[in-house]
Amino acid sequence: MTFYAPNNYNRPIRLSKSTRQFAHDSLDHKYGLDTRKTLGVCLDGLANFEQMTPLEQYDTAIERIAREAPIRICKDEKISGAATLGLAIGHYVPATYREKPIYSSVSHLTVDFETVVRHGILHIRKNAERSLERYRGTEREAFLQSCLHCLDAFDVWHRRYLDALREMPAYESNYKNLQRVPQKPAANFYEAVQSIWFTFAFLRLCGNWPGIGRIDYLLGDYLKKDLANGTLTLDEAREILAHFFIKGCEWVSGGNYGSGDAQHYQNILLCGVDENGEEVTNEVTFLVLDILEELGISDFPTSVRLNRNTDEKLLRRVAEVMRYGGGILAVYNEDLVIEALVRDGYDLREARKFANDGCWEVQIPGKTFFTYFPFDSLQTFQKKTLQDYQGDVAFDNFKALYRQYIKDLEVELLQIFQNIQKKFITAGAPTKDWKWLPQTPCTVVSLFEQGCIEKGLSYFEGGPVYNVTSPHIGGLADVANSLYAIQKLVYEEKKLTLNELLTILKNNWEDNEPLRQYALHHYAYYGNDNDEVDLLVTRILNDFSNTCNSFNGKCGYRFPAGVSTFGRQLEWAPYRGATPYGKRAEEVLAANCSPTPGTDTSGATAIICSYCKAELVRLSCGAALDLKLLPTSVLGEDGLQALMGLMRGFVELGGFFMQPDVADPDILRQAQKDPENYQTLSIRVSGWNARFVTLNKVWQDMVIEQNEH
Amino acid sequence: MNTNDQIKLNVTEIQRFCMHDGPGIRTTVFLKGCPLRCAWCHNPETQKAAGELLFNPKRCIGCRACEVACENGVHGGSEHHTVTRALCRVCGACVAACPTGALELCGREMSVEQIFAEVEKDRAFYGVTGGLTLSGGEPFSQGRAAISLLRLCKERELATAVETCGYFDGALLADAVDFTDLFLWDVKDTDGERHKRYTGVSNERILNNLALADTLGARIRLRCILVRGVNTEGEHYRRIAKLAGSLSRLDGVELLPYHAYGGSKATLLGFADNGRVEWIPTAEQIEDAKRCIADHGVKIL
Repeated sequence: MTFYAPNNYNRPIRLSKSTRQFAHDSLDHKYGLDTRKTLGVCLDGLANFEQMTPLEQYDTAIERIAREAPIRICKDEKISGAATLGLAIGHYVPATYREKPIYSSVSHLTVDFETVVRHGILHIRKNAERSLERYRGTEREAFLQSCLHCLDAFDVWHRRYLDALREMPAYESNYKNLQRVPQKPAANFYEAVQSIWFTFAFLRLCGNWPGIGRIDYLLGDYLKKDLANGTLTLDEAREILAHFFIKGCEWVSGGNYGSGDAQHYQNILLCGVDENGEEVTNEVTFLVLDILEELGISDFPTSVRLNRNTDEKLLRRVAEVMRYGGGILAVYNEDLVIEALVRDGYDLREARKFANDGCWEVQIPGKTFFTYFPFDSLQTFQKKTLQDYQGDVAFDNFKALYRQYIKDLEVELLQIFQNIQKKFITAGAPTKDWKWLPQTPCTVVSLFEQGCIEKGLSYFEGGPVYNVTSPHIGGLADVANSLYAIQKLVYEEKKLTLNELLTILKNNWEDNEPLRQYALHHYAYYGNDNDEVDLLVTRILNDFSNTCNSFNGKCGYRFPAGVSTFGRQLEWAPYRGATPYGKRAEEVLAANCSPTPGTDTSGATAIICSYCKAELVRLSCGAALDLKLLPTSVLGEDGLQALMGLMRGFVELGGFFMQPDVADPDILRQAQKDPENYQTLSIRVSGWNARFVTLNKVWQDMVIEQNEH
Repeated sequence: MNTNDQIKLNVTEIQRFCMHDGPGIRTTVFLKGCPLRCAWCHNPETQKAAGELLFNPKRCIGCRACEVACENGVHGGSEHHTVTRALCRVCGACVAACPTGALELCGREMSVEQIFAEVEKDRAFYGVTGGLTLSGGEPFSQGRAAISLLRLCKERELATAVETCGYFDGALLADAVDFTDLFLWDVKDTDGERHKRYTGVSNERILNNLALADTLGARIRLRCILVRGVNTEGEHYRRIAKLAGSLSRLDGVELLPYHAYGGSKATLLGFADNGRVEWIPTAEQIEDAKRCIADHGVKIL
């Protein structure tokens, strides 16, 4: 029973044999394959289904899911509850009518597990009942009725687990815990873990993808109390928590057809300050790191909030776990993130609570509606500014070219904004009470987002305390590199005119290999710590974020700027033309806020320096840097020091979010040929991790390319 | 007195994020010129003190831009690109014209201040362990200029390490020790006769300098290359251990197994690939060497 590790490192063994076996089965997709067996509940038999309101349809579906979803109790599991319906994997409420899923589900949010664990579901029910009384007779009543229906459904599902566990003496503690939580406040660490997991599983069962948030913050006090009372040992706590992570890692496919095969994908966050500015790091933090180190569990993906005062011992422990690869740990620089949120208008105490959503974008957990709008700024540049390489394009100087590009970017953003504005009834007129048009039902997540029950409004309709939609710029490095190459070739060195260059690009560099090679090799592009091109990135981001900010106050959303591609650089490739910096049409280019593959030749520190030069503090939604390291560069004590140095520099220079991965492209190529022997080799894809062998060929090739040095 | 703007060093390369040239994250500055001619040299482009032209035929696309740019007729050939080095004045015209980077100049003058500015770029990553590593070639073949760089680093609170073959003017040592936190001191062979045969010089001066450095209080890591069939023998290991044991501030002994990459680098200078696969030690030999030395109570890194 081994868990993959590079460099023939031996992973330490701290967990019991049965827990390790459970992990092994789960990582071997035993339970994931099971999840795909039952897709969802079928509502075809309901004669009046089409006459129901959307909320009634939704409530009916949730009630049926709670009643009919298969119950799963895994061998030797210490905590119970499982999301067992396959349509949830496809981002749907797992209920069909006439063979179609009835509604899509909700993602990119971290719900309010704090209220669940500290106050219990009954507390939420009381709030809903109180709110219903308040809004009875108003148009908000229906939503609050739906809240109570969904809470009833949660009870039904909960009782089914109690009924099943009652008959199974081996699961006595699971049964005992579930008799109290999540309905009541958790009284100890074990109950707290069960409370969060059970609520997570129900949300997930209903199709949603809720991020967990700050697990050491949520659980730390419980563990402290139990340890002080002598009712629990650290080893026992590690076992319990391991089951949470093992259940969180459910690989569902066994085949390779996409961007990975995790069922949950939800990020977890460790460390950092609490709302009072006190460091959260506690015993739970180190238990999580122990578990990740031992089992190599890469889903849930876990991130660590670092700051200038991060303890050396913690940093070292993070580096130790990180160097096993698998993209298991990513890091935030919370000093900058908090400052960015404060600049964006959040109260300091609120800002300090930030967590990632299911992915790496940041938000105030349990209080935030979040969505993002990705777009390809390279296509904007090629198709609008450079007119698809078709026409006679003339700019007197570089400045004029740049100005036109920013104008085109503004038009693009305005279109995004105008589409979003259509969600509002009173769009356009400044007001404090924006009213949303009716949206898709989403009551289950609304129960766990502060503001929804209080206001009687759903998650999609302005219920949460904060409502955020973030334009995400993609292709950033590619645009900056393109502009830089034009600046050099056309305006400074005057090797050719812009139109001559565009003709060459239109022909995809055909018969112009010397010039293509010149463009590729004679300039240091983004990622090499070259001020000239890095400054272009900074300027684009500043202009971009200014435009995003200009939409604030014009509808019910805030518009913080962000940088991402996630995996979209693959989807965009076929629509992209040749670039002035020497790439041919349709190549897979830069990911997130990272350099274009193949153009970064000065090492990891130079990449971080380039990235940190941008005023990332203006991007309160986030900008991710992917950093690929070779296993040989993290070997031994020197390797640990190197990882710690990289993280320290990332914080000191003002980074936002960095996802390092340790992978050897030769080993990845080997895994491509021989997938059977690399089933548990995991890699960082973007905001998530995946088993390498479950990616399809295109994704695999992209990951290999990114890991080349 | 010359200022750090005026003092120049001949640099072949400045490499950031180096993990194997001393503790933590290092920026390694490779200086040109070496008094040794090791048969197994890993960095042959740093041997000569004068600048040289490097040509990598694998990157050449045959565009002949170099032929047009060169005034001395260095580049030619009908089917294959030929480089007539005897005609080359190392002016760099061909390098500027070459679109692919197949042609490179090895060795450029940089002031101590300029080099420091490059090293300074990664200060945020060094922490208390990382910093500058001066390498080459033999850094002290450039004499006091190299020491000026070390001094500047120490003045500006940057950790320093020097990789040295030990063969240099011992008069430099008094200052060198003052400004060097760690010496990575090569002991290619402890057998004097073999040393001369394979490196071209006697090891006497190297060992004398080592003893002097130790007397002056230097912290030293011994670096010993393992060349299979040349020095992979117990007697050598025993002498390494003894030498290590004689040093008062020993950091440890690092064994460097021979690799053949230096051979392919020789081709860039127009020489045949002189890499010798039969010199690569086996994993057992490496373990054996480590064990032999460690048995004498010496720390192996």
